[in-house]
Amino acid sequence: MSESVVVTGVGVVTPLGVGLEAFTDSLRHGRSGVRRIDTFDCRHLETQIAASVPAASFDPAAFVRPPKLVKLMNRAAQFAVAAARMACDDAGLGPDAVDPLRLGVSLGAGGMGLLDGDLLESQALAVLAAAAEGGGDRFDVAAFTRSYRERTNPLTGLRALPNLAAAHVAIQHGARGPNSTVATACTAGTQAIGDAVRLLRDGQVDVMLAGGADATINPMGILGFGMLGTLSRRNEEPEAASRPFERSRDGFVLGEGAAVLVLERESLARARGARIRAEVLGYAATCDAYRITDERPDAAGAAAAVRGCLQDAGIGPAEVDYVNAHGTSTPMNDRIETAVMKEVFGARAAQVPISSTKSMLGHLLAAAGAVEMAACVLCLEAGFLPPTINLVEPDPECDLDYVPHRARVARFDTALSNSFGFGGQNACLLIRRYPGN
Amino acid sequence: MPPHPPLPGELREAVRGTIAAVLVQPLESVTDDAALMRDLGAESIDMLDLVFRLEEVLGRKIPTGRWEAYLRSHLVGLDPTAAITTDFVVAFVEEEKRRP
Repeated sequence: MSESVVVTGVGVVTPLGVGLEAFTDSLRHGRSGVRRIDTFDCRHLETQIAASVPAASFDPAAFVRPPKLVKLMNRAAQFAVAAARMACDDAGLGPDAVDPLRLGVSLGAGGMGLLDGDLLESQALAVLAAAAEGGGDRFDVAAFTRSYRERTNPLTGLRALPNLAAAHVAIQHGARGPNSTVATACTAGTQAIGDAVRLLRDGQVDVMLAGGADATINPMGILGFGMLGTLSRRNEEPEAASRPFERSRDGFVLGEGAAVLVLERESLARARGARIRAEVLGYAATCDAYRITDERPDAAGAAAAVRGCLQDAGIGPAEVDYVNAHGTSTPMNDRIETAVMKEVFGARAAQVPISSTKSMLGHLLAAAGAVEMAACVLCLEAGFLPPTINLVEPDPECDLDYVPHRARVARFDTALSNSFGFGGQNACLLIRRYPGN
Repeated sequence: MPPHPPLPGELREAVRGTIAAVLVQPLESVTDDAALMRDLGAESIDMLDLVFRLEEVLGRKIPTGRWEAYLRSHLVGLDPTAAITTDFVVAFVEEEKRRP
């Protein structure tokens, strides 16, 4: 029988607050982090809203030692490093607490690589300069390469690599154990945590820093998802745009941020006197193997992930007290997720509260599963269910208890977190109150 | 690009400022004999960043390989972590400036 895995630390960088107190407070008060985009000129984009981490709330240099390393980090990596630092502080995990070779990192990562933010701009300017030199209206690769080489700092390319966030976290914490980056988009954060749980159960490591980070609020991110018709266009009412399970929902809202959890084998946590926040009881992952953007109409892949997670946890559906939904606010996901809940929970489905924190946070993509796991841990401890806000008129096909409008005071013991992503990947985690807490 | 290359005293100050910016170190610590790696925390990729930014100081491109060639000829028998000092970088930039 493998050993239990527990959560001893949590760190978050979110549109609803940086740090546990601000984040939990926002969830408790049902705030929205969605605003009009003001970080670039979005006037020609059909979607002009997103949930950003406000500049005033986040200073990357505060979390990086030495500060010189900030220039090597893209925005997602900065979020990851900050969240990891806060998580380790929260866990009381000092530099000598663990054998470095038994301290690992597992992070979900996304982004669009060289199309992110300033990286896109450096290429665009090179293309423009090349065109001005007489390239005309075709893409003159030779002129572009000369122009790019001349004007671009060599370190730029390092910010495009998705695996470097986990590398930076490892450098900051001397984590010389296994180091992996999971790129399964909307599911990545959940999968990165699940993979970490499995490594810990296997006994290969003692502590894992696990979570996810994403920062794709940039022109290509909005264009990429927007042109597929997946983003909300409720530009005139940003805070009302993310409305999971609601009748007039029209797509998801892009968010950004990171969450990192410190996961440990229970015996180590107890031996070093760590405060244990919760137990990670179950994890499962499946794939629809159906279509790239459509979910299986029979939701078989998602249902299998939920069932697999409960089985891994050794509990039945009757023992699930709360579900943190994937709940993206797309017409398709919310309907199918409701069907999945009914299938797994049967007649009891209407009694199991299921809420979508994406109603407040937006969709943090590779960070979503991790931030949602953090929300589950914090809300379980604080004794409230986070709400699904903007649920003005529920979709008739969505008739469960979504904890509408306001947080609900409730002492609960177990929480299931769902992530169902583009590409058909599905992953679920289940946490439980630690005995004695 | 600046309208004309800096004068000798200005050049040294510009180099000092660039080193400080690249390594995120206070200007006061960038003394003439400070070794970039041993004393100021530089690693190999910081040198790439430094050479790129020195092009702005010089007002012209530094062709690929020139910094590496300068290292090869000026570091014979020396430990790079101690020998690449502010003075060393200033000398490199002055040599570049003298080229046609």
